Amino acid sequence: MIAAAGLVLGIVAGLFLEPTVPLWLQPYLPIAVVAALDAVFGGLRSLLDGIFDDKVFVVSFVANVLVAALIVFLGDQLGVGSQLSTGVVVVLGIRIFSNAAAIRRHLFSA
Amino acid sequence: MSLLTNLIEHSLDEGYAEAAARRAARPDPPGSGGTTGWVLALGLLMVGLLLATAAAQVRDRAPAASQARDALTAEIVERTTASDQLEADLQLLRASVEEARAEALSLTTTGSEIATLLTDLEAVTGAGAVRGPGLVVHLEDADSEQPTGSEDPRADDQSNDGRVTDRDLQTIVNEVWVAGAEAVAINGQRLTARSAIRSAGQAILVDFRPLSPPYDVVAIGEPEQLQSRLVDGFGGSYLQVLRDYGITFTVQTRDSVLLPAAAGIPVRYANVPVTESTSAESTEPAP
Repeated sequence: MIAAAGLVLGIVAGLFLEPTVPLWLQPYLPIAVVAALDAVFGGLRSLLDGIFDDKVFVVSFVANVLVAALIVFLGDQLGVGSQLSTGVVVVLGIRIFSNAAAIRRHLFSA
Repeated sequence: MSLLTNLIEHSLDEGYAEAAARRAARPDPPGSGGTTGWVLALGLLMVGLLLATAAAQVRDRAPAASQARDALTAEIVERTTASDQLEADLQLLRASVEEARAEALSLTTTGSEIATLLTDLEAVTGAGAVRGPGLVVHLEDADSEQPTGSEDPRADDQSNDGRVTDRDLQTIVNEVWVAGAEAVAINGQRLTARSAIRSAGQAILVDFRPLSPPYDVVAIGEPEQLQSRLVDGFGGSYLQVLRDYGITFTVQTRDSVLLPAAAGIPVRYANVPVTESTSAESTEPAP
């Protein structure tokens, strides 16, 4: 219950307060979103697997976002930012898809 | 391949399995449920904040592009209005200068001779407005807009056939000169010896001022002679070719047309030598 309230509060705050993302952070926002989605799907799957752990979820979310941003930042510094972004998106995308497939199997048994 | 297989098979964070194993080995002490909820709520709050911020960012960015476009359009309109205003001011000032000059020159005999010469020169060079009998060549783009399926003006290169181009106007203006015109203007833009008819994108520019269709090429000269020479010469056959592309045109004689003065004939490098001796001095090589 508190968790759902937290999610709703976060979305409402983001939509209505519209925090201005500083310019230097903007390139990392899409990657951070993909990383966050990966953590969310991982959490959902583990919930359905019955092994959900909130601490692991929060830590994996924060770590995913930070590492993804770090990789893109490093790539930008080295001049291969777009390639590394693609790499991050591919890896996280594969994980999101396979987790989504696992969730689907749990929910629809298909 | 093993990397991809590993990625697909171990898509779930292994931390979950480890945490579950730890829990199984050491059952949760009772009372930790409260903190559990808060940690998860904090995590989900961050997730929601991140997603909503990204969504807001994307939503804001789309209007930003069109806002920039609107601002640029407004600026173009504003600058064009200012430029028109300045040109009107220029015409007024020039008229008053001419009036004052005519008054000053009319005081002496040589002065009035010079005044006549000046008026003639202004008429020929385009620096002054002129009136007289003449000819109007009216050109209109082809009616039928071929459906291109694309509203992007840069994309429809194929459907330009029915459009009057800068080359067409150049050719017709040249033929009008050849036919004996003494002064020519297009849509109120007087042509001088240094006028350029160009195109930028799909717009035709005369002296960097955009024209909008239809186009009126107005020439002063002996109307019948202008018309017959233009229609019988290369200009006539060129107009017939344009008609094949769907461009409609009319050639009409007028008893009296008024051509405005050119916006400006700046001379940046050429100087009128004051006397023979000074020009001779200036061409002497330095010792």
